[in-house]
This record gives sequence, structure tokens and C-alpha cells, in this order.
Amino acid sequence: MSDTLGIIGAGAFGTALADVVAQQGTTVWIDTADEADARAINETHRHEKRLPGVKLSPRVRATADVAEVAANARLLILAVTSRRAREVVLQLASAVDGRHAIVHAIGALVEDGHGDAAEVQMVRVSELVRAETAVRRIGVLAGPGLAWDLVERRPAALIVASPFDELVTTAQRVLSAPPALRVYGTSDLAGAEVASALGGAFTLGLGLADGLDVGPGPRALFITRAIAEGARLATAAGGEALTMTGLAGLGNVLARSSPGTSDRSDDYQLGLAIGRGAPVAGVRHSEGSRTVPSLLRLAERLGTRVPILRALHAAVHEGLPMQKVIGKLLESHAEVE
Amino acid sequence: MLRGHAANRGELGDGMANRPLKEAENRLARFNAERASLCAEVERRVMDRRLALAARGGDHSLEYVLNDAAYHEIRRLETGPHGKDEKKHLPHWRELAKKLGSIDEAEKRRLTAQLVHEHAEDIAGRFDERVYRFAKGIMPAVVGGVLAPARLREGIAAVGDLADRVVVDGPLAKLRACADRGTLIVTPTHSSNMDSVVIGWAFDQAGLPPVTYGAGKNLFSNRFLSFFMHNLGAYRVDRRLRHELYKDVLKEYSTVLLEHGYHSLFFPGGTRSRSGAVERKLKLGLLGTALTAYQNHLRAGEPQRRLYVVPTTINYSIVLEAETLIDDFLAEEGKHRYIIEDDEFSSLSRLYDFSKHILSRPGALHIRFGDPVDVVGNATDAAGESIDPHARRIDPAGYFAALAPGGGQREDAQRDAEYTRGLGEELTRHYARLVVLYPTHLVARALMDRIAAGQGTRDVYRLLRVQQDLVVPHAQIVADIAAWRAHLAGHPELGEIAPRAQQLSDEAFVADALESYAVYHKRPAAMRAGDDVVVQHLPLTVYYRNRTLHIPPLAVHQ
Repeated sequence: MSDTLGIIGAGAFGTALADVVAQQGTTVWIDTADEADARAINETHRHEKRLPGVKLSPRVRATADVAEVAANARLLILAVTSRRAREVVLQLASAVDGRHAIVHAIGALVEDGHGDAAEVQMVRVSELVRAETAVRRIGVLAGPGLAWDLVERRPAALIVASPFDELVTTAQRVLSAPPALRVYGTSDLAGAEVASALGGAFTLGLGLADGLDVGPGPRALFITRAIAEGARLATAAGGEALTMTGLAGLGNVLARSSPGTSDRSDDYQLGLAIGRGAPVAGVRHSEGSRTVPSLLRLAERLGTRVPILRALHAAVHEGLPMQKVIGKLLESHAEVE
Repeated sequence: MLRGHAANRGELGDGMANRPLKEAENRLARFNAERASLCAEVERRVMDRRLALAARGGDHSLEYVLNDAAYHEIRRLETGPHGKDEKKHLPHWRELAKKLGSIDEAEKRRLTAQLVHEHAEDIAGRFDERVYRFAKGIMPAVVGGVLAPARLREGIAAVGDLADRVVVDGPLAKLRACADRGTLIVTPTHSSNMDSVVIGWAFDQAGLPPVTYGAGKNLFSNRFLSFFMHNLGAYRVDRRLRHELYKDVLKEYSTVLLEHGYHSLFFPGGTRSRSGAVERKLKLGLLGTALTAYQNHLRAGEPQRRLYVVPTTINYSIVLEAETLIDDFLAEEGKHRYIIEDDEFSSLSRLYDFSKHILSRPGALHIRFGDPVDVVGNATDAAGESIDPHARRIDPAGYFAALAPGGGQREDAQRDAEYTRGLGEELTRHYARLVVLYPTHLVARALMDRIAAGQGTRDVYRLLRVQQDLVVPHAQIVADIAAWRAHLAGHPELGEIAPRAQQLSDEAFVADALESYAVYHKRPAAMRAGDDVVVQHLPLTVYYRNRTLHIPPLAVHQ
């Protein structure tokens, strides 16, 4: 039987991934937030709201009913924003069972939703899926495969991480669309999730550094220290340090902050604007900036030292003057590993 | 809260109180008749698998399998622990290792089959209905005798209120229903060699059928215990045997028993908790046989036959072997002993002291059964069906289906290992919720937290070198206990304070712990000295503190 893929979330990334995979001959069911979007995709093979001007494969079938996706596909990609993650996972819970596998593509942490407000913990999305659904075969999709790279068929790479070999190989087989999309595999779920969650925050940090025009030396210093910090956090969360230096970590940050793509990264643009002096009050937050406080809470729970995340928090959420931010970002690096 | 025998029976107000348990009761009774065919099935399966693997060659060849057995046996018999008579096997293994390269495949098959047969026969137990009836009749007396020898003199009649001293609780009606429908795999925490004795008694108390279990071969060296274990369905696990073929036979034996409906008991910690902590890392080998057995049911077209894993805690206010266990734990890493044969359990006078002073106290032992979960750790409803976190029924067979649409059952050892790891994690979460905390544990925790704060280190080895007395004001401990009790009342997921101790004032709670420390151990963990509590035996204090290690520090201590 031919493969079928389900994608929950018809944002730019989810839609672009659906198109690339469908072009391989796979039927892709995609869940949209509302029925009008689903109708538009099914009738016009376009999703103008998210991917203007792009013609989609007719094998992309849209629905606004998550249960319909789960009924047609066992391999499900969860590609919604972190703000919708909990709501969507809860919807999905009533439609999935032990036959399904869920691979999320959410580069953020989420609240565990238990206990008092004071005791809410930040958890990885896989932990949320495990706690709220019957699904056990869980993975993460991460890395520098940006929506427009996929649409324009520029060589892109993603990594799928899961302790289940079966899930890694199945996801690799279904998602790979060489030469446009290569999918690598690893068993390091925790490491890849933490690395991916840090991607937005560190991209924001690079935007900030560029906005402040720190120069190439300090920029390189920032990147390497950020990766080391990420490796510490990933290890503390039960992952492997090396994962941070791969596609899910460094690869992701470099892709989002590089010339050519950086103008499309909300995180990078936000950092750039703040670095150039835009007032923090009233700023429109990005996925990366929203993730900073939750990453800090995770670091506190795990007892990990994260000076860069602290500096980013001070810059974006506390309005610390930029000269002090530079000090915090760069001076704190004079340390011994 | 259900307490004791009467309460357990009283819980069955759902019309199930007198429901017969014929099938469950009889399963072990039919064991003897089935023993030969069970062993034959084990041998056939292991051999079929080994021969199929051997066809692939390389590390799977029979030469490799036999060499692995010879290598480990020679090593063990030359250097490791072994019985007096066992050394005579050494020449046999040496000869085998020498000739392996030159014998033909048929001979290798014969030697492998012979080894598999010997292992299966060594592992398999027996079940003697007469011994069982006899044991059941005298069990209260034996347990009572172990638990309180003074009572023995008053005759069997006095043993009736044994239930007053041992609390057995949990969802007993549901467990009975699951035992009727499928196979139970009871997985308790493990603190003491007494566990094997008291859990058997607890099953009977709870109206649950007898179970078979793998008992360490060292326990069979006690002739009296050995007789009972042999004839009550226990099978022998020789933890000294390290070669793959032995582990293969052992796992297959467990799988076959589970498939045939024999309720089983595993201590997933593998061995008694040396540190005193509730198990967090589990040995997954035997636990994984539950998944295998279930998949065999699926393959046989019997998806309705289910296996239920029952997390259970066995809780003592004072542990018989505490001193030996914590000493072993604190011994330099790599030096601690996996099998201890000379602990308090082997000393009659220590057993007597323990029974007289500790187990004569009401509620000093608490066995708490948890809700049964399916083989991948899902909760179950009253009918024994698997349910998701939102109580929706799900089909456990789905976990073994291929990910391709419409894909059927698929074999995947790596996936199963991962499911078993997840099941283990689920069990440790259940343990934390099911643990019964005694004053001995919480007072030790309060003491150690204050001492660590005062000394600036939590490192036990550094604390052991501190020259001055480790002292905490009594009033401080009482205040801390009040904080702990309030905290635990709001966090059932961290365990529950023993029912009797819940009735005590904070002062009496602390006094209860100090008295318990004093009456059995040669040196108490800690004692009152004027306005202070003084640590007398740091390792023991650490041991009892460790039962609370799964509980994060109180905010006031951070």
C-alpha cells in the first residue's frame, strides 16, 4: 500500500512540506484551522494565506477535521505554533491510538498543564504528547528546512529524531524528496527537541548582535558560546551534546539568520529591530522570543547555567539598555568550560 | 483507606465478595500436569529461534552461542561465586571451548539442545497442591511467627489479628477481576528478603490467586525455604549465569508461563534496593516478556487475552537488613555485592529481634497494590480494557501494528525494547504515588536536609568524615515535619504517609521515628539528646532518608 502522511497545521511550513511530499506520489492529508482554508486548498490547490502564489500538488487533501486526518494516516506530523500545541494535542488525543506515530515540528517548549499556576513546568512537546495521548511512537522533526526553501526546491535538510528506529526510518522514507529534501535520522529525541526549541531564541540573539553591529569576531563568539550553552541544556534534559552542533541546533540557527533567509525569519527581524533601538514595550513577539522565558524555566529546573538565555531575556522581556545587553552577552563568556 | 483483612473483604461491597475465583485459583494447581509440556515448549521455541538465527551465521552461529556459554562459565567457575560441587564442571567447559572449532553442526545442535534442556529443567519449579494447602494453612502462623514470635505461643487463634499489623490495600476488586480475565504480573518494590514471604501472604489476604515468581538461586540454598518455593511454583533464577543462552531460556520460560495464564511476580528492581530509595532504574529483561506474551496472544488470534502489570509497593517502617544494604551501597563503587548471603535475613536472632520489636507494631508493614496497567503502561478501566489518558478505551494491539496504512502486526525487537523502557518509566511513576512513608523516613529526611544545609554539602562521604556530632534542634525537626506533612497532603503523586502515623501530632510523629530507630538496630539512626536530635549512625539515617529521594526539596530548604 502506498504511503499516506497526515500533517496537522497548514502554516507555511506544514503546507510546503505537504506539497514536497505529495509530489513524490504520497497522499498527504492536511488539517487546517478552518473550513474555508480546507475548501480553498481542495478546490484551487492553493493556500494563498500562507504560501501566496504557490500551486500545490493535487495529492494534498485538506480537511478541518483532525479526526479525518488520523483516520487516513498513521504517521502524523504536528506542525502548529507552540501557542496552539496544547489545544491541538488535546483535539488529537481523541482521534489517535496505539497505531499512530506523532512527529512534531514545534521548536518550543510547552506547559505541562498540571498542578497550580506556580508549579506549571515547561516540558518538551514529546512529553506533552506522551502525557495526553495514547501514542507512544513519538518523534521530532527539526533543522534548517525552511518553508520557502521547500517551496522553491532548494536543497534542504531536516532531521527526524525518535527512540523508535521504526519511526525514524518510516519518516525518512515518507518525507525524503531528494534532491530537494533530505531527511537525516537520530535516536536523540530529547537533544533534538531542546536544540530545536533553542533555535528561535538564538536566531533572535544573532539578530540582536547584528542590530548592535557587534562585528564578525563577537558574532562568531556569540554563535559558538550559544551552541555550547545549548549543548549543556540538551545534556541536562537527557539528550546528547553533539545534537546541538548538528542540523537541529547549529544548522537551524545558521539557516534562519543568514542573508537571504533572515528577512523572512520573525525571530531574526525582532532581534535586529531591538538591537537597532526599537523600544521593547509593545513589540510584537516572535516564536523565539516567546520561548526564551520557558527555556529559562527549564534551565532552572535542570540546574543548568544559561548566561546567553538570561541576557536575551533581559534584552527582550525586561528592556535592559542595549549597552548592558552587550556586556551581558559577551562578558559572561569569559569562563572556563 | 482500607486496612487489614477485614477491611479488604469489606471493600467488596460491589457484589464480588464471594465471587469464586476458580480459574485464577486453579492455574498454579494445574502446573504439575503441564510442567513437562511447558518445558518442552520453552526448549522448542528457544531452539527454533537459535537455529533460525544461526542460519544467518556470524555472531549468531551456534559456535558463537556455545563459546559465549563456555567463556562465561569458565570465568565464573575460575573466579566468581560458585557452589562447592560446581567446580567439577570446569573441565567439561574447558574441553568444550577447546573442541568447538572442530565439531560439526549436528554436534553443535545437539550440545545446544542439551544445554537448553538443562537450563529449562533447572529453572522450572513445581507446584504441589498438598504443599500449597499445607502452606496456606500454616502461612498465617509462619508469617505470624516471622512477624511476631511471641504470638506463636498463643497458638494459631491469636494470629487472626496479624491483619492488624500488616496493611494490605489497593484496588483489590479490580485486581481480582483482572486476574479472572487475564494474567497478572505483579511488580513490587524490593527492600528485604522478607518481601517474598509477606507478598505471598498479602495475595491471600487480598483474595488474589497465588503467583509464580523467579527467585534468586541463592534463596534456594536455604533448605526450608527451598522446599516451599520449589513446590509452590517459584522458578529458579541463577543470577550468576551470564551467558545469552541462559537468559534466553529464562525469558522464554517466563513468556510461556504468562501465555499459559500463570500469574507472575517480578521484582523489577532486580535485587533489593541497596540505597533504600524507591526503585527508579528497573531491570527490563523479565518485564519485557509481558510484551512478548501479549504479542504471542495476538499472533494466535486471541487479542482478548490480556496481561496486566500491577505496580506494588512493599513498605516497612524499619527494614530488617538496612545496615547491611546501606553499607553495601556506600562501599566503594564497583565493590558492592550483587548477591549477599550473610545478611540479617540469615540470622535467626536478628529475625527474632526484628519480629519482636518492629513487626509486632500495628501497621509496621504496608503492602499497597496499584492500578493495573497494560503491557505498554496504559491505565485500564474496571473491565480491564486499556484506556488512554482521557479514559477513552483503546485497543492495545494497535501498538504492534506497522506504521504503514492498513499495516498489520509487525515484529520489531527494538520497538518492543523501547515500549518496555516506557513501561518501566510508568512503573516508577506509579511507585512514587504508591509509596507509604513512615515517620522513620520523613524524620531522616528532615534531619539530613538540615545537616546538609549546616555542613554545606549533601555528599554522604564528606558527611561521614565530619568529626563533630551531627545535631539538629528537636524543635526544628518537629517544625520541618509539620511542613513535610502539609506538603505531602497536597501532593499525592509523591506518596502517602502511613495511615496510623497520620493520626499522630508532629511531636509524636518525631518520637515514633526515634523509637523505631532505637528498638531494632544495634545503633539507632538518630536519637533524642536533650533539646537536640543527634545522628548516631549516619549510613542508617541516609538509608531511611533515601526512601524520600523521589521527593524534591521543600522550598524552605532551597
